[in-house]
Amino acid sequence: MTGIRDKVGTKKSRLPHVSRRSLLVGATAAGGLALAWSFWPRHYAPNLTAAPDEHIFNAFLKIGDDGHIAVVVPQCEMGQGITTLLPQIIADELGADWRTIAVETAPISPLYTNTLLVDEDSATFMPRALVPDVVADVRSWVRREWAVRHAVMLTANSSSVRMFEGPCRDAAAQARTLLMMAAAKRWDADWQDCDTQDGFVTWKNRKLRFGDVAAVAATLDPPAEPVYRANNNDPLYGKELTRLDLPAKVDGSANFAGDIRLPDMVFAAIRQGPFGATRLKSIDRKAGMASPGLLDIVLHDRWIATVARNWWAANRALDRFAPQFETAGPPISSAGIDKALKAALKADGYRIAKKGDVAEAMEGRTKVSAHYAVAPALHAPIETRTATAAPDGERLRLWVATQAPAQCREAVARAVGLPPGKVTLFPMMAGGSFDACLDHSVAVQAAIIATQIKRPVQLAWSRAEEIMRDIPRAPARAKIYATLDAAGGIDALVARIAVPSTNHEFRARLFDGTPADVAQREAAGTPDAAAVEGAGGPYNFRHFAVDHCPADIGLPTARWRGNADSYTAFFTECFIDEMAARAGSDALSYRMAMLGQAPLLARCLLTATSLAGWEGGLSGTAQGLACHSMRGSHIALVATARPSDRGLQVEQIVAVVDAGRLVNPAIARQQIEGGLVFGLAAAVGATTDYDGGVATARKLGQLGLPRLSQVPQIVVEFIDSDRDPGGVGEIGVPVVAPAIANAMFAATGRRIRRIPLSPDPL
Amino acid sequence: MTKFSVNDRPVEYRMDPETPLLWALRDASNLTGTKYGCGTGDCGACTVDIDGEAIRSCLVTIAECEGRFVTTIEGLSRDRSHPVQQSWVAEQVPQCGFCQSGMIMTAAALLRKNSNPSDAEIDAAMTGICRCGTYPRMREAIRRAGRVIRGEERIAAAPPPGIRPDDAARAVPALRPADGN
Repeated sequence: MTGIRDKVGTKKSRLPHVSRRSLLVGATAAGGLALAWSFWPRHYAPNLTAAPDEHIFNAFLKIGDDGHIAVVVPQCEMGQGITTLLPQIIADELGADWRTIAVETAPISPLYTNTLLVDEDSATFMPRALVPDVVADVRSWVRREWAVRHAVMLTANSSSVRMFEGPCRDAAAQARTLLMMAAAKRWDADWQDCDTQDGFVTWKNRKLRFGDVAAVAATLDPPAEPVYRANNNDPLYGKELTRLDLPAKVDGSANFAGDIRLPDMVFAAIRQGPFGATRLKSIDRKAGMASPGLLDIVLHDRWIATVARNWWAANRALDRFAPQFETAGPPISSAGIDKALKAALKADGYRIAKKGDVAEAMEGRTKVSAHYAVAPALHAPIETRTATAAPDGERLRLWVATQAPAQCREAVARAVGLPPGKVTLFPMMAGGSFDACLDHSVAVQAAIIATQIKRPVQLAWSRAEEIMRDIPRAPARAKIYATLDAAGGIDALVARIAVPSTNHEFRARLFDGTPADVAQREAAGTPDAAAVEGAGGPYNFRHFAVDHCPADIGLPTARWRGNADSYTAFFTECFIDEMAARAGSDALSYRMAMLGQAPLLARCLLTATSLAGWEGGLSGTAQGLACHSMRGSHIALVATARPSDRGLQVEQIVAVVDAGRLVNPAIARQQIEGGLVFGLAAAVGATTDYDGGVATARKLGQLGLPRLSQVPQIVVEFIDSDRDPGGVGEIGVPVVAPAIANAMFAATGRRIRRIPLSPDPL
Repeated sequence: MTKFSVNDRPVEYRMDPETPLLWALRDASNLTGTKYGCGTGDCGACTVDIDGEAIRSCLVTIAECEGRFVTTIEGLSRDRSHPVQQSWVAEQVPQCGFCQSGMIMTAAALLRKNSNPSDAEIDAAMTGICRCGTYPRMREAIRRAGRVIRGEERIAAAPPPGIRPDDAARAVPALRPADGN
């Protein structure tokens, strides 16, 4: 391979400055990692493969002699459109014809590390308020270096465009420069006088196809710094280009992990029993083995898998084996979960964020308070967890949708006793995910089954299994209390939030391969800033504090579209609404008075209320407000909702979003619409009770997910902006429930303080 | 007896007659465009057309299909030219795409009977579950496909599959024709 010269993602300037002294401080804090740092590899070559007529320019880009441009996308496509957005950024900077763009998924490589997410995560994992800056800097830096070494290619936290726009633009600029240099050589011109447009290098009145110069261009040395395309009269960036994945998604040809077909492949189903320290105790072997069509079974400490020539036959056999499980310790139940949350709320907790002095400000004053509760939230993607595994001599091939491919490969390799390099992972599109694909159990199980039966196997979880074994977003309880000034405005506010330490559990599962029940136990009681992210919202309170009260609920918890903001925004936005009503103030002006430090959000709020015809939130109007900022974006929502003979009826949702520059406004709109519908589902359902260690729901229809007839009119507007792109995947989710709850108060005069939305007392 | 027609071809499945049609299509015929989402008729991702009706293929056995005509997403058109497929792309409906085969088959069956359905008729027909939240675009996509069926509008949003490189090069100057010029 020629033309491999890549510096993308290894820019030193973006690292925090580290002096020898701070490094030593860091060494103490981070456990002796300082010694090793200088030996860590700093540069990585792309590990792409190319067809004979294809030329590798860098980690993100190959160009063929025929003129096709293959863009390498390191993020999991789960509906968010990333396989269109990154190519669109690259095609724009390159000066390519959009019709020549092809997409392939990235191999596992440190070059694709999501350092932005690691940095943001570091900040919440160990908030700066709790450690000296110098320690925080070094810890973040060490974590970032560690993440690069381990190729932490996470797809999460609405970070895909925020993370990869820069590297993609740089990669395209570099390739463009090389193409111009190669063409200039042919013309005996100065490459700096050349330009690119529609897939051609141009100079004066001459032009050459990219494909004509790609072979030579890929062997040249680029300038040290990227040179960007200056004159772009018809930018692709910002256009509503049709998503590249749509044609395959309307004729059934888009392949998910369950659509892989291999010679000699068989189908497997699985049963895993309750959450907790569970082991498979017994099976009815005689009855099970007589099941028609059954080929094989695989028994594991914690589960039983059946294998047949079609999945239905395999799944049917599971019932006949009637597996019995045994779980150590008290079984998880909804009552137990709620008891643990209440106990945590009464205990001390950890102060995660503070401003001013709440204790002094509240001394001797009357406090106003409210309690809120939020049920666990299931991911419930329509694709149940599925993986295909094929043993191949000393190797294993694996097809699965994952938001962390390197960690998935490591987990699989560990489970079947192969070095990670012997496992080839083919990243598939996810049928929804919503962060479910950060869990790799299904890949590990498929690999174990395939290795044991020595043939290719496709494992799909049944829907019941998907509901029972989905690790949900955490349930939470909160007590918000405040003291008010003479006009009824908030002077001091404290948010105490009882919720498990999800981030710690998640890391132990993902990076250390810790079983979910062990990770849950080990994380219990630890402070977790990410678990209360977004609490307090964007408001400028004079005195303010957030406490995390870690709850040991027994049930493992996971990341989920919107994460902690999905409940903290509910607490804050409902409480603010209550305070506004108490002060006899309009919910809009009450909020505006506290948004002096958040002009972008304030503008969203004004635009949304004007668009929706805000009537002041008076009783009987059935309108409710909510607003929130996260991941560099801002959203304001006006919901119209009222009770009807069919229950809660949401009539309209008007959203105004400032997400900075939009790569593709049509895709951004899809994401906001989708987030709102996801938020609507979470407001009314997408949950289950737990009893005896398992979810009580077994069928999708029991989750109360909205169908077309239950979806209100949805209006989404974007604020024009040149800011760097913010995230759009999650921000639609957190505002829906509080806006509906506030609308229901306007309609009925009764407060709803619980998700799923219900006026039942807490 | 498990003999019937799938996408205009006669098929006999040598499977347990109680096997749901979904699994015969997916695991025996490799028609994987029809998806499993729940097995209980809730999500609609497995919807196929049986004798003109949109049916959840997880709920019918292959025995019950005897002698009937089954059409899957792969058989809806040979080249993505069905008005619903075209309008689905034109309105950018799909996100993750997993439930979309079922949604498209349901919409196509609806429009075959009634090319100008009301919102209430659309709501009554489209009973599948989409977790990505593509609902807000579905009504408009169905109305638009209806206009195409009624001859009031044309859409060319999704290209046919299998475009030959030479044809592509004729349409796109940046691509090099096979003769190298």
